[in-house]
Amino acid sequence: MASSPRSAPSRPGAAAKDGAAGLLSPRFRSAAALAGWDEESLLASLVVEDTPVRESRRKRRPSTTASSSAGGSAGSRSGTRKRRLRRQSPVKIPPVVLALDDDDADKPDTVADGKSEMKDVKEDVKVVDVGEKEASGSGEKAVATGNLPCMDRLREELSCAICLEICFEPSTTPCGHSFCMKCLKIAAAKCGKRCPKCRQLISNSRTCTINTVLWNTIQLLFPAEVEARRNSISSPSSSKEDVNCSPQRSSSFSQGGGGGMRTRSSSSSFITEGRTRSSYRATSSNTNGTTRSSNSRRGFVMASQLVNTRSTVRSDQSEDAVLAYRLQQEEFMNAFEEPEQERQPQNTVSTARDNLRAMASRAIRLRARGWPV
Amino acid sequence: MSSSSSFPTSRFPFAAGAGAPGGGGGGSSVRPWGSSGGTSVSSSGKRIQKELMDLNASDCSAGPKGDNLYHWLSTIIGPEGTPYEGGIFFLDIVFPPDYPFKPPMVTFKTRIYHCNIDPAGKVHLDILKDGWSPAFTISKVLLAIKDVISNPDPYTPLVMSISRQYLTDRTKHDEIAAEWTMRFAR
Repeated sequence: MASSPRSAPSRPGAAAKDGAAGLLSPRFRSAAALAGWDEESLLASLVVEDTPVRESRRKRRPSTTASSSAGGSAGSRSGTRKRRLRRQSPVKIPPVVLALDDDDADKPDTVADGKSEMKDVKEDVKVVDVGEKEASGSGEKAVATGNLPCMDRLREELSCAICLEICFEPSTTPCGHSFCMKCLKIAAAKCGKRCPKCRQLISNSRTCTINTVLWNTIQLLFPAEVEARRNSISSPSSSKEDVNCSPQRSSSFSQGGGGGMRTRSSSSSFITEGRTRSSYRATSSNTNGTTRSSNSRRGFVMASQLVNTRSTVRSDQSEDAVLAYRLQQEEFMNAFEEPEQERQPQNTVSTARDNLRAMASRAIRLRARGWPV
Repeated sequence: MSSSSSFPTSRFPFAAGAGAPGGGGGGSSVRPWGSSGGTSVSSSGKRIQKELMDLNASDCSAGPKGDNLYHWLSTIIGPEGTPYEGGIFFLDIVFPPDYPFKPPMVTFKTRIYHCNIDPAGKVHLDILKDGWSPAFTISKVLLAIKDVISNPDPYTPLVMSISRQYLTDRTKHDEIAAEWTMRFAR
């Protein structure tokens, strides 16, 4: 397989099985080789599904759109909404006017740890429901002054004991205390690997990850503070740490080993999320959001638009396979188009690798589910 | 980073000219604020500013001496029920450049007859040395100092004679302490 000609057509030409190698563009193949993925398995599980037999079904799609939009979309819609929320920069997040009165008492527990998951979800939903008319700044003010009597307590609870500000990218120690990840790292480096609050041993700085639930909560509750902090970190030549000022905040600070982890969790790479979701439908809708937000040029018929217009019933697997294939192609187009304008080559390789990895895992998943191969 | 965690060994290194506004560029040790006086935007400066705003003075107060954010003057009122009652004790607080991660240096400027506070004003307090944690704030430090004042620890003394007297002849100790308070801290 490795010896397939580099000049192979980039678009699927003949749909014959032996021409399957041609389904992948040379760029794809080289990237695949780079990422170390077995091309054969990719082809076998993904591409083969796009056989001419399904072409007829694809044509029927518009009709299914209307009928199934009501029922099938409910579940996946909410998921999409939530994820989109998370990806937005806090400026775009609609003002938080939460009716928290009912759970005032136990809200500070959010800081503690794991059990806040459910609450976070609840909040997300509420935020969506709340109107979007106010600008974020004034909205925050409104929250601080009027609607939330517990705001002061929240501010206290959610602030980092080291910098005394609202936790920025909080990291939670094994003993359950949360600090800014940056603060915690410096503290571990300068004061020994002990929790600043309770002096328990922090096992290893490698386990220093962002508590995403807490971080999202903070971003929702204090968008103004977070934004200010982010600006202050990224703008004034953020000391000696390498700051490649990419338009996203992806690398606002990358410190030591935290860099990789951070970009993964924050730059909302659909790969990570795609892994956590078990159905790739979620992934595809997610991709939709990504392409839209990144404003990439559209090379061919956007499959993501198809996702928009159509919402299939779960059982129609072959259609999904077709769609998935197209989405993957789109991902690659995006991944390979962007670098020319803004990214460094280093970045390109890593995104390509990530994409491929996601693809492969998806393929394996499909196969494991016993789809026709 | 640059300075070790040890306490300054010199006595009152900042006694002269510390109150002079804008005198930050001066000589002693490492000065974090460099060119920009009290308007430092570094993380330590930010944190100190925040502490300054959050200070709720009960019976102690603290604040920058001049316009140097890293050099504070604080007062502690002698705790009631102790021989130090009625005294007002002045303390010097110097924040290191990497402040929350290194302890502030606290010294008594007012003389006090106490076994854990030496004639130079140096306080024997664990949290100001190895026991420091970045989660401490200056108000907590002052609280701890107040606790040391009212509950001397004669077993880890800085001044042997006072601790010995504290253990053997408590009334005499209290008498002298009250006398010193009257003399120096009023």
